This record gives sequence, structure tokens and C-alpha cells, in this order.
Amino acid sequence: MNDEITIDGLRGMAQRAGLKLSDEELQLLLPGVNRSKRQAAELREMIAPTDEPAAKFNAPGTVRK
Amino acid sequence: MEPNEVCYLTISEIAAALRRKDFSPVELTQALLQRIEAIDGKLHSFITLTSDLALTQAKQAEQEMRSGADRGPLHGVPIALKDLYATRGIRTTCHSAVLENWVPDYDATAVTMFQQAGAILFGKLGMHEFAFGGPSIDAPFPAVRNPWNTDHIPGGSSSGAGAALAAGLCYGALGSDTGGSIRTPSSHCGIVGIKPAYGRVSRYGVVPLSWSLDHAGPMARGVEDCAILLQAIAGYDAKDPASANVPVPNFQSEIKAGIKGLRVGMPRAHWFDENLGIDPEIEKVFNQAIEVLKELGASLVDIDGKPFSLARKANQTILVCEAYAYHEETYRETPMKFGTSVRRRMLEGAFLSAADYIAAQRARAVLNEQIRANFSRVDVFAVPGAPRPPEAFAKMNPQEQNLRPNFTNPFNLTGLPAITVPCGFTAGNLPVGLQIVAPPLDEPTCFRAAYAYEQATEWHNQRPAL
Repeated sequence: MNDEITIDGLRGMAQRAGLKLSDEELQLLLPGVNRSKRQAAELREMIAPTDEPAAKFNAPGTVRK
Repeated sequence: MEPNEVCYLTISEIAAALRRKDFSPVELTQALLQRIEAIDGKLHSFITLTSDLALTQAKQAEQEMRSGADRGPLHGVPIALKDLYATRGIRTTCHSAVLENWVPDYDATAVTMFQQAGAILFGKLGMHEFAFGGPSIDAPFPAVRNPWNTDHIPGGSSSGAGAALAAGLCYGALGSDTGGSIRTPSSHCGIVGIKPAYGRVSRYGVVPLSWSLDHAGPMARGVEDCAILLQAIAGYDAKDPASANVPVPNFQSEIKAGIKGLRVGMPRAHWFDENLGIDPEIEKVFNQAIEVLKELGASLVDIDGKPFSLARKANQTILVCEAYAYHEETYRETPMKFGTSVRRRMLEGAFLSAADYIAAQRARAVLNEQIRANFSRVDVFAVPGAPRPPEAFAKMNPQEQNLRPNFTNPFNLTGLPAITVPCGFTAGNLPVGLQIVAPPLDEPTCFRAAYAYEQATEWHNQRPAL
């Protein structure tokens, strides 16, 4: 999950997503995509199997005592 | 009074002056329009000026006031809107070629509420494209410049609001904030901005960036002015699915109560030193501001900054996914209408998976609980409004924003109310902001703490030389 995406990998992902991106655009995107992927992996490490998504955000909320 | 002095009055001062008939809403509007004509050519804070509409509304306010009607403190006061608030019959561009000619047939709820309060709408303000990119060279409108030094950015994405207020071109403005877009330009321009609690102000008619992180809120030159503006637009709106159906407090009732005994949480550890860390000049000014809070009777409590640091990552993941989801169809049809900066950031969302997005939302639930748990031992958090001074356009490095701690977006993730107030200047005479964050839906505590600090210092009275 932590493996860096290569430019070829990104090209394939773009094709599967139906996005037409030039090599230059893919090169510009690559560092940001890899950073985003690393961040997502880091977030996975902090969640437990029982943690549910904040699917409906609750503004008032409560502080659990 | 000199016309330029009139342009820097506070909303409270204007309200009193209008009722004393020192000047009329029409004279007030004309004074601002003249100042905009004289100096906005070097700031580019406005995209669209609605001069005729403003003068019509000013005449109407004048007639109403003459006949004894009083709609409250915003009656006859000119305000401006970030150009992502839908305005019926007025172009709403989001600073983008995508919406360059969009003229909505409806008003955002906040706009309607301002009109009901008697405010005069006199323009739409520049911003970062779709509240997302940086200041871009390929947008159809020029990038907004910082009135304190036009070689520098004003911060974004509500950049026009920050610049216009600092330059005395409006008395109040509406911004929006998904990761810091009210508080960053407020810090960089030396003004006050509050990101209210999530759900406090309706987002109906505000062009989305990220539904679960977007907040609408006011910006002004003073804390009390922000409270007045927020009072006018806060409240439940059935048209906004995230609107909080809870009572709206009086935002001014406790504003002058002081902060003796207030417990201020300082989440320095594991956050301020993240990546490149906080800029040393910002830290020095921030430390001086904290000393003022102590002198005013607050106590300082160290708290763990790690959850705040992690919150940046969850915020960014959610933001790019939701932003791409919103723009996907338009992007597929007309990709080149988006500026380079927006395209690059937005497309990151196209390459994250549904599982990545859900992991971030799961982390959000955990971090929300961890961060809010601190309120069992502190009353507010205090952090800088931005980790570094406003950059020079010529030295802008979009990547660097991920190499410093982000002091704003954890409070979008958690929906907590957060206000920024001017707290000093760098050696280069660029403004620095102090941010105060309160428990859920507790904007009155934000206002009380920020007002105490503001009134104990003179930073809010400084004006850029224009």
C-alpha cells in the first residue's frame, strides 16, 4: 500500500479513470499523488477496525467523558 | 471627517454615525466607490463592482432610516462578497473561466440575510480559483495583492476580502473556509476573520469546494464587527443539509467580559515543529501575543499537538476527493478552463480510492474525539493564524504549504469555531495573526478572548500605506 506510484502506473490509472493527461501533466501530478497516497496510508495506521467514518458530520457534537 | 477616515470606521461607529446623520448611506457608499477607483487598480480585490445597485440600495436605506425604520447595525452599511456566493442577477465567477459568465437566478441564504439586515451589497471579491488553487496567472482575473506590500500574496482563498478590508475598501465581507480560507488572508492582511462552527451559517448558494469541510463566515477589521456580521447570517436553514438546528447565541453579550481565568491550551508539542516547522518570526510574534493573554489573566496549559498534526492529512485527503467529485463532470468536458494550480490539486482526488477517502473519514471521527477531549481541561486553543508570513509572488512555492504545519485545517475537520485577530508584524512589516479556537458552537468564547486581546493591543489600528 505504501509503494510509490510510477509515471507508468499513473498513466494507467488515468486511462482507467477516463482522463486524458499528457506526460507533462502526469509528471506534474506525480509528487502530489504520491504524497496523497502516503497520507492516506498513514491515516489507515491510526484507525482501529471498529472506527466508523464520520459519514454524517455532527456540528454540536459532544465531548466523550 | 476626511473621506479616507470614513472608509476605515468600524461597523459600530458607522451605525452610530448614520443614526446621528453625520453622513448618509449614499455618501458612505460613494466614499468607498471613490476609494476603490483610486487604489484597487493595484490590489485587484474586486472582480465585479455593483455600483448602481449599491447606490440604489443606499438610497433605499436612507429613505427607510429617514422614515424611522431601523433594521439594525448593518442597515445602510456597504459589504462585499467573495465571488462564490450566488447573487441573483450578478455575475458569480469563483475567479474561474469555468464560471466567467455565470449569472445566478437566486441568492445564497447568507446574501438574503444580509439584505434583510439592510446591508448594501456593492461588489464581488477576488479569490483563489474555486477557493482551491493559489493565486494564479492563468485565471481570467488578476491575482489579488496584499495592501501591506503588493509584491506579496494576501493569502487565500478569500484573498479579495482580506485585501479590501485592510485597504479600507469595504466594512465587512463574507468569505468561505475549507482549510483556512478565511483565517489565512485575515492573518496575512492584518484583519479579523471567524470561521464559525460547522453548520452555523448556511452554505446554500455558496459554490462548494468540499461539502463536509466548507464553512461560510464573516471578515472585518475588528472583532466586534465580526460578531455583528455573524449575528446577521447565523441560523438554521433547511436548504443546507449540514445546517445546525440549534439556537443562535447573542455573539456580543459576553464580548467585553474579559478572560481572567480562561484556560488556554497550547498544542505545541508534535505540531509546531512538524516538517519545516513554524517560521521563527511567526513564533516570536505568537509568543508575545500569548504573554498578553497571560497578562490579561489567562492560564496556559500545554496539550499534545499530535492529533492536530494528523488532522491536516485527513483534511487534505477528504478535500481533494470531494473537490474532484464536485468538479469531475466539468473537468471532463472542459479541462483547460480550469487554471493550472486548481487542475493539479484537484486531480490528486481522481487518483485516491474510495477506501482512501473512507479511511480519512474514519480518521476524522477519531481525531475529532481526541481534539475535542482537550476541552475537559482547557477553554480554548491558541495557535498562530498561519505558519509563515505572506510569501512574495516572485518566490511562491505551492509545494511548501505542505512542508509547514497547517494551523487552520484541523478546525475544518473538527468543525470547531476559530477566529483570527491581528497580533503583530514581521520585520518586513507584514501582518501576523493570532488564532483562538473554542469548543463546538461556542463562538461567544472566540469573540470574548479575541476582543480582550484586540483591545489590549494596538495592532488592529495599524493601516497599510497605500
